[in-house]
Amino acid sequence: MKKIRKRVLAVIVVLVVFTIGTVGYWIFSAGMPDGLERTMENAGVGELEPVYKAPLGYGGDYPMYVLMGAVGFFAVLISALGIAKLMAKKNETQPDR
Amino acid sequence: MHIPDGLMWPIIMAIGWGVAIFALAIAVRKEKTTMTNEKVPTMAVLAAGIFVAQMLNFPIVGGTTGHLLGATLATLVVGPWAAIIVMSIVIIIQGFLFGDGGILAMGLNLVNMAVVAVAVSAIVLRFTRKIKTEASVFSAAWCSVFVASVVCGLELAVSDMMAPGHYGITWTVSIPMMAGLYSIIAIGEALITISIATYFLRVYPALIQNARRAPEVAT
Repeated sequence: MKKIRKRVLAVIVVLVVFTIGTVGYWIFSAGMPDGLERTMENAGVGELEPVYKAPLGYGGDYPMYVLMGAVGFFAVLISALGIAKLMAKKNETQPDR
Repeated sequence: MHIPDGLMWPIIMAIGWGVAIFALAIAVRKEKTTMTNEKVPTMAVLAAGIFVAQMLNFPIVGGTTGHLLGATLATLVVGPWAAIIVMSIVIIIQGFLFGDGGILAMGLNLVNMAVVAVAVSAIVLRFTRKIKTEASVFSAAWCSVFVASVVCGLELAVSDMMAPGHYGITWTVSIPMMAGLYSIIAIGEALITISIATYFLRVYPALIQNARRAPEVAT
């Protein structure tokens, strides 16, 4: 029970830090290119058409960015939980050699 | 450092997929024999935490931004094989759900950010065991981002050499620019990684699996 509480607390702390950190991101960094994008800009490489259209985006304003962050957080959390659980289960069902 | 589709020479992208699948298969195989139920939630929260941390770009020089990659942090917490899996899950969700990085270029993104960055982290952490933990973590985090960016620069350069004017960026631009910008971004990566690692070592030292000097930092 204590362990579950600790993990739930870890999730809440990460999401709170992200929500606060996003303010800083939105004020100082939003709309600016990262290192690879800057390199592409300097080399004159324009916008490239994506082959695949993703169902979601990160959003164009602060509330949407936080919401999409939370959506992504839980998507990664559930995926990683499922994959790791499956690996742990397989490991536990294997007989000792 | 998420490579979009259409930037790299298709053969390089195919090689990237091959290397990524091979590395991921080894990681899963290795981890399957050691994975415990205890490690499951740690891996999941770590992956989700790295996902949101990668959304928080910080400004560096000349209107350019960088963000935490998280490879060293993942290596410290769950070890290199599990770290490859953690980073891969993050990159795959970013690509498929949010369009961050191209789908065809995802193999190269996995190679750069999940394989190279984790491998460099693990190697540097191993070879700096005898120095102070903070210096070891700083070196590993800095090198992981720097080497991954240089590898990305090389991939751009090779793409340009194979199909000039169609793919990639000439080596005189790609390698110095990627190395230069990411050498600064890597300092941010190192500082953030040290802050998180030091916090973990104080509140939950057992979490930093591979940092062998946990008690010294905790005091």
